[in-house]
Amino acid sequence: MMLFQNCLDKWYNCALKRLKTLLDKKIEKIESQNNLTGDDTSITQRFTVRSHIYMVFVISVILSCAITAALGVTVYLITRDMKYVNLANTYILLSNKAMFHERNFVAGWEDIKESKESIKAFEMVVFERYNDFGNFFDNSRLISNIEKYGRLLDDLTEINTFPPSEQTNAKVVKIRNELHQLSDEISNYGKLFSERTGHTMRKDMFLFKIVFVLATFFLFLFMLFIVHLLIYRVLRTMSRIVQYAKHLSTGQQIKFMPGKVYQDEFSDLASALEQMMKEFDRQQNIISQSHKLRAVGTLTAGVAHELNNPINNITLTAHMLLEDYHDLDEDERLDMIKDLIDEADRSRTIVRNLLDFARESESIMEPIGISDVVTETLKLAGNQLKLNGVHADLTIAPNLPRIHGDRQQLEQVFLNLILNALDVTMKGGQIRIDVERGDEPNFVVVKVADFGNGIPDHILHHIFDPFFTTKSKGKGTGLGLSVSQGIIAKHGGQITVSTKQKRGTTFTVKLPITTIPADIGGNMDSAHGSF
Amino acid sequence: MSGEFEVLLLDDEPIVGKRLKPALEKLGCEVDVFTDPKEALKRLSEKNFDVVVTDIRMEDVDGLDVLEAVMSKSTTTKVIMITGYAMMELAQQALSKGAFDFIAKPFKPDDLRSVIIKAAEVLGKTDMLKGAVK
Repeated sequence: MMLFQNCLDKWYNCALKRLKTLLDKKIEKIESQNNLTGDDTSITQRFTVRSHIYMVFVISVILSCAITAALGVTVYLITRDMKYVNLANTYILLSNKAMFHERNFVAGWEDIKESKESIKAFEMVVFERYNDFGNFFDNSRLISNIEKYGRLLDDLTEINTFPPSEQTNAKVVKIRNELHQLSDEISNYGKLFSERTGHTMRKDMFLFKIVFVLATFFLFLFMLFIVHLLIYRVLRTMSRIVQYAKHLSTGQQIKFMPGKVYQDEFSDLASALEQMMKEFDRQQNIISQSHKLRAVGTLTAGVAHELNNPINNITLTAHMLLEDYHDLDEDERLDMIKDLIDEADRSRTIVRNLLDFARESESIMEPIGISDVVTETLKLAGNQLKLNGVHADLTIAPNLPRIHGDRQQLEQVFLNLILNALDVTMKGGQIRIDVERGDEPNFVVVKVADFGNGIPDHILHHIFDPFFTTKSKGKGTGLGLSVSQGIIAKHGGQITVSTKQKRGTTFTVKLPITTIPADIGGNMDSAHGSF
Repeated sequence: MSGEFEVLLLDDEPIVGKRLKPALEKLGCEVDVFTDPKEALKRLSEKNFDVVVTDIRMEDVDGLDVLEAVMSKSTTTKVIMITGYAMMELAQQALSKGAFDFIAKPFKPDDLRSVIIKAAEVLGKTDMLKGAVK
């Protein structure tokens, strides 16, 4: 009982130790896995199309070699088997022939010569192919049997020369019996040989069939491998890239996801494309920014002129306050100081809009009211409009839904359209701006219309081309509409133009409304979808 | 003609009139201030002033229109244009159309007073002005 208790304790301790080592191993494994997943690039294994193609090539070489070898071996086996079958037939034929002549001779119908010749021919064949027979049955007694058969025939011939007597008759009967026995044995060998070669032949034919079926099966698998390479890896990814490029050409900014299990050349291509788009975006931003500064330059004249008024008011008021300080009563002084503050505020407002607009800032996509953007833009351009003596007529439809966009970039677009309209409007003329719901649902449109001379047909095709301008050198960069089109496309909208000779031109900006509620929309970025 | 040196001051900025009126009155002028060019034109058609000071750029009616209106009615009236920095061309145009002088915004009250004194000298009415320019 005590022994049993000890034994149980030992077992228990041993099991505990074993469990502990197992647990340690498991923990180590999990830790190493965690380390792996921490590095995000190593999650997907790298399996390039190039190595896929190499694999296909190597497999096809191996597979074709294997199939050729297997077929060669089976064909060789079957050819060999056919030779054996032929040999078996020859054996049977020749042995039968020898027996036939022997029986004819014994019956007295034929001369011994025929019998001897046929047994000689049979013996020749057996000598020639002695080893082949050895593969199928014990051939050690075959030659001796044949020789014995020949000798018996000779004996029989010799006895026939003696005069017939009882003694000779008895000898003849004995020899005949021996001949019978031998010929049975020889033809038994024939039967055995024929059976065994037939059996081998059937076995090798079966092998041939199996090789054939296996070859077909592996070829089919191999085809699947190639089809996977071509259709799933190459063609499908390529068509995705084509679609991606089409999306890009319409100006939509989407991210290209190779959507693959493996990292391969297409992943490299995708990251190169992404890099290219980043660079393109950066260039676009530089162009956009330089064009914006150009617009700021245009606006500066209006701002400078508009600033004159509050500065003049400040100058006059300050001088009069200084001059008459002691003659004025307190209320008048306070009034003047209030005027000074108000006019300083007014100057600040005039400059602030422009500075806000000119400031280079990150693109922020947020839910915004399109009417606010247009109103702000009009304020920005207001000084310039005033300077040129042009009146802007703004109509805003009530209860417009919000859109998702970059306020500053959209201001740049509308400012550009307004300044373009201003350029073709005579002093005292007007431009019209309408903000309304689009004909299509989920769209708002902003129309900026002038009543100038319109755009001639031959120019109309080119107005959105970069660096195309009709303005005099130094006045226009030819980037305004191109940049605007880029910005609007990025917002998922479009700019269209309609023009009539001598009647004027209307630019229509169509923008999709946001369906994201304002409070959570700030964190989302629907225009930058992924593909 | 009365014994006062009569000035019409037109600027659509109300503070300009509000501050310049006492400044010119200290000089001894009688000042009519307008912010609406149409009313000013109406007043000009009723009465001849010694000096008309007008902003060149206003909504609706231009300073040049005022100049033309004055020139067509009275040859003696001196017209002083108030311009912005960026409008030298317009100022030249005004001068060629018969404006007496121009003064660029932003200006000090004394700048205007000295131009008005100059105009008074040309008109031979300096005796009407009492104050010397500070």
